[in-house]
Amino acid sequence: MSGAARRGVGPGSAFGAAVLALYALLALASLTPLFDAALTLNLGARLVAPSSQHWFGTDPLGRDVFAMVAVGARTSLLVAAGAVLLGLLLGTPLGLVGAARGGVAGELVARGSDLLFAFPALLLAVLLSAALGPGALTAVIAIGVFNVPVFARLVRGSGQALMTRDFVLAARAAGRGPLAIAFVHVLPNLAGLLLVQAAIQLSLGIAAEAGLSYVGLGAQPPAPSWGRMLSDAQTLAGVAPWLAWFPGLALALAVLALGLLGDGLARTLDPRAGARRAP
Amino acid sequence: MSDRRRTRIARLAAALALAAWTLAPAAVAGDGGAIAIGIPLEPPNLDPSATSAEATQDVLYANVFEGLTRIVEDGRVVPALARDWSVSDDGLVYRFRLRPGVRFHDGTPLTAADVRFSLDRARAADSKNPLRDLLQPLRAVRVEDELTLSVVLERPVAELLTYLGWGNLVILSPASAAAAATAPVGTGPLRFREWRKGDAIVLERNADYWGPPALLARVTFRVVPDASTALAALLAGDVDAFSNFPAPENLAALSRDPRFAVVVGSTEGETLLAINNARPPFNDLRVRQALAHAIDRNAIIQGAMYGYGQPIGSHFPPHDPAYVDLTGRYPHDPARARELLRAAGYPHGFDVTLRLPPPYYARRSGEIVAAELAAVGVRVHIQNIEWAQWLEQVFRNRDYELTIVSHTEPMDYDIYARPGYYFGYSNPHYAALLAELSRSRDAARRRQLLGELQRTLADDSVNVFLFELPKLGVWRHELHGLWHEAPIQGIDVTRAYLDAPGDSAAPGAASRLPALLLLATVVGLAGLGLVALRRHVSAWYLAGRGASLLATLLAASVVIFVLVDVLPGDPAAYMMGLNASPEAVAALRADYGLDAPAWRQYLDWMLGLARGDFGTSYTYRVPVAGLVAERLAVSLPLALYALTLAVAIAAPLGLAAALRRGRRADAVLMGVAQAGLAVPNFWLALLLILGFAVHRHWFPAGGFPGWGAGAGAALWALTLPALALAVPQGCILARVLRAALGETLEEDYVRTARAKGLSERQALLRHALPNALIPVLTVLGLQFSFLLAGAIIVETVFALPGLGRLIFQATAQRDLIVVRSVVLLLVAAVVAVNFVVELLYAVVDPRLRQGGQA
Repeated sequence: MSGAARRGVGPGSAFGAAVLALYALLALASLTPLFDAALTLNLGARLVAPSSQHWFGTDPLGRDVFAMVAVGARTSLLVAAGAVLLGLLLGTPLGLVGAARGGVAGELVARGSDLLFAFPALLLAVLLSAALGPGALTAVIAIGVFNVPVFARLVRGSGQALMTRDFVLAARAAGRGPLAIAFVHVLPNLAGLLLVQAAIQLSLGIAAEAGLSYVGLGAQPPAPSWGRMLSDAQTLAGVAPWLAWFPGLALALAVLALGLLGDGLARTLDPRAGARRAP
Repeated sequence: MSDRRRTRIARLAAALALAAWTLAPAAVAGDGGAIAIGIPLEPPNLDPSATSAEATQDVLYANVFEGLTRIVEDGRVVPALARDWSVSDDGLVYRFRLRPGVRFHDGTPLTAADVRFSLDRARAADSKNPLRDLLQPLRAVRVEDELTLSVVLERPVAELLTYLGWGNLVILSPASAAAAATAPVGTGPLRFREWRKGDAIVLERNADYWGPPALLARVTFRVVPDASTALAALLAGDVDAFSNFPAPENLAALSRDPRFAVVVGSTEGETLLAINNARPPFNDLRVRQALAHAIDRNAIIQGAMYGYGQPIGSHFPPHDPAYVDLTGRYPHDPARARELLRAAGYPHGFDVTLRLPPPYYARRSGEIVAAELAAVGVRVHIQNIEWAQWLEQVFRNRDYELTIVSHTEPMDYDIYARPGYYFGYSNPHYAALLAELSRSRDAARRRQLLGELQRTLADDSVNVFLFELPKLGVWRHELHGLWHEAPIQGIDVTRAYLDAPGDSAAPGAASRLPALLLLATVVGLAGLGLVALRRHVSAWYLAGRGASLLATLLAASVVIFVLVDVLPGDPAAYMMGLNASPEAVAALRADYGLDAPAWRQYLDWMLGLARGDFGTSYTYRVPVAGLVAERLAVSLPLALYALTLAVAIAAPLGLAAALRRGRRADAVLMGVAQAGLAVPNFWLALLLILGFAVHRHWFPAGGFPGWGAGAGAALWALTLPALALAVPQGCILARVLRAALGETLEEDYVRTARAKGLSERQALLRHALPNALIPVLTVLGLQFSFLLAGAIIVETVFALPGLGRLIFQATAQRDLIVVRSVVLLLVAAVVAVNFVVELLYAVVDPRLRQGGQA
């Protein structure tokens, strides 16, 4: 086994980190006035194929697609990260309470998350947009709310299995209460699983943000977003295929990079994964 | 021109027309064939006298229903069910003689009493007819004999014969009126055959038609909700024609394609940047004029419409003889616009919200309008909203500043004189002109008045008049006889015919039986599973679970009711549309039971559910249970199909990776899974359509033939959608499986198993896998619920009539009763699935069973 793998920094996560850094850089760069010019309408230069002047070509309104993808990265990353944070912060404690308490409290948490998760995601997004107006913040809430039961159920399901383990019995024998056991002894053992799930949810969040803006419930125009770019590009697939390729690739690459990075992190942070690699 | 010559020309024309009648069918092979026509929206119901929905007119006008008069392609009013008529000198009495020998599709003969019934029903106090207000000058409809009747007016209405040719004032048989929403019975050359909700409406030739029979044996109107699906459906041959194609950017390519004919005509749709004249700063004429100067119509027509659409300078269609060209009244001049804004007291511009309804022309024009207004200092915030919201916020409550919409009704210049109309405009001079127009039957004077109306609107710069909406007809080359122009909403297929025998998709008979069978199977399987589980779990445990399940559902019903109830948008207003009077909307609300207090509505809903009655859909007017069963027959098999594919993808990937964990192959396999889940499913769906339906005609591009077409054909149609759904889900599952196996494989008991001589493979399958199943089952359960309800975007891409689209559509149409019941049903399904998953936990992990404390 190579030294790099032992330290947990595989080529995959290095690649993921590099791509993410690139996106972050692009997102930052998109704040500069340079991009404003590229994003103004210019009907004289509409549907120009990729060239040295417009790397990713231009859209039907003559905007530079590269600049739009860059600004889209900003929206996409922020929305997905916000949604995962929301899910982790609310879902993990709920799941732990469910695992520790069993009985009525556990039942309430389990059924509550059923209830929430059973809601068709898009209906909630429609409701939220009707109440708050469609936009990036609405997207964060609409996606994040569904991350809550994901984490809660994962923690509860796996936490329950851990609650019957010897080290938990030992802690109980030592006089610890069930909640303390859940937070102090069970939670650290779930870190790896949570990280893998967070990585999955983050990538799902990016895809979900694209899905929401694809149906028009995400960030509103003229702010570019990958999902809306894709839906606008569909009818032009025959005329200007680059419009569909670049936002789609940017989206898939972002999801991929996050996933690879998450994998690497899981390997590095999970103590038992380290033990596994010992000879 | 002498009378005799005129008669001769008329005779010649008649002979030519007759020749055309007889020649046209000769060109048709066999029984005339069948075609499928794509329509963008599904009709909410099929009663044209009780809804303003354009989709209803598209399917039924002239095809199934006829009025006393009708509008033909060049906009003229010609006799239809009325053979002829005479008008009294004072213009107050219209005497109609009906055509003899006309029969409704149910076999009953058409009589003057039926006409009186239809007109009286349309103008009654509780009428839901959108044209009710236009009929207010009617004093009485008198039946003189079997085939003669008089319409008596209080004051002259010069446009009466035109109104009587509109699709909302068609004649229906009294016996069928109550059920017209789902089983329309008219007199037209085509009769209604079948409605596969969410997918298609099928009409067939009426052999007993009084006039020249329809040339096609069958016409299917297929719902193709978005532009990208439209192109794919056309290229894949699923649809033969679009009367109005929703993606102008494709027309150039389509017109080069020898398979298709592209015919561009005009509609009655004046597309406006509508301004709330009542709200500052727009109550200042200079500000409205500044907006007009700031907008470059040609840029919008080029940018949003790809050059299709004629610029207009007032609210009047350019193809009308009385049109006055006012497009030069406010030339594009940003400097002048800034000057006017400065003069009005806004040297630094102002902020304004532009609310955009869903049609593509509005959304696309909106972005350009925003950019052009920004150039003169007006900062525009775009808000994309649904139709239901638009109707409530913009149209009814006038809570808006700017919006973009096309007014597609013919002769709708009267809206500028309606009190309380959403433009917030009022000008006594305009109202006086309009009143005189309604009285005047002198052609020259009418033309003069119409010109004056147009000029007044332009002078007042009421709205920014953008362009006349084009009619972008695209159809297969072999298809002829569809309208090139659209003087009225409707897709007249009565004279359409095919050169060659059509190979259009035959409509499959939709059956509710498979859905019920499927449901029964699922319930049965679940029951069997429970019986098997009885060995593992105690009865108390099960009873406790059942009780908490019920409590969850009850809580869910309250949450759902409250959430759905607070949705802005009124179902009745949505159904009635732009022309409805408040009284008609109120009548419909009472009909729906929406005027009762909320607790009462909730109680009614619950009591209904307890009796197994899900209620009746507001829009479709059929029982919700039936609607859901139809959709479930698509969604449930799709979800199971996708889940099966997902497991088929996940199991080999996850197991192989776990066996080689830590090695290069592991990283590669998980990299593949990572890449697979990174592809968004709607993107994958699109690629699959392009690859396997458009380039290679292996699969249909979309639509669902129904289980009646055979299980093979149905599953074939579900394959691409299932694959698009399964790839990302399968990759997620593979990663979860790999992660879980990675954990369990390091456990002591697995180590022991290995130490006692089991191979890695045996250790994995026998010892690690069962314990790794807990997280896998959790995720699998989540995925099933996701696939059942969350496939909506993929359903949209493939135009599948599934549950997801039912919810989306019902929400957009504010069919609240459907939304509520379907959501509750989904919640119930998810809760049940989770229950089963938890029971399975107990089987998989015996420790969880003890004391039932799971």
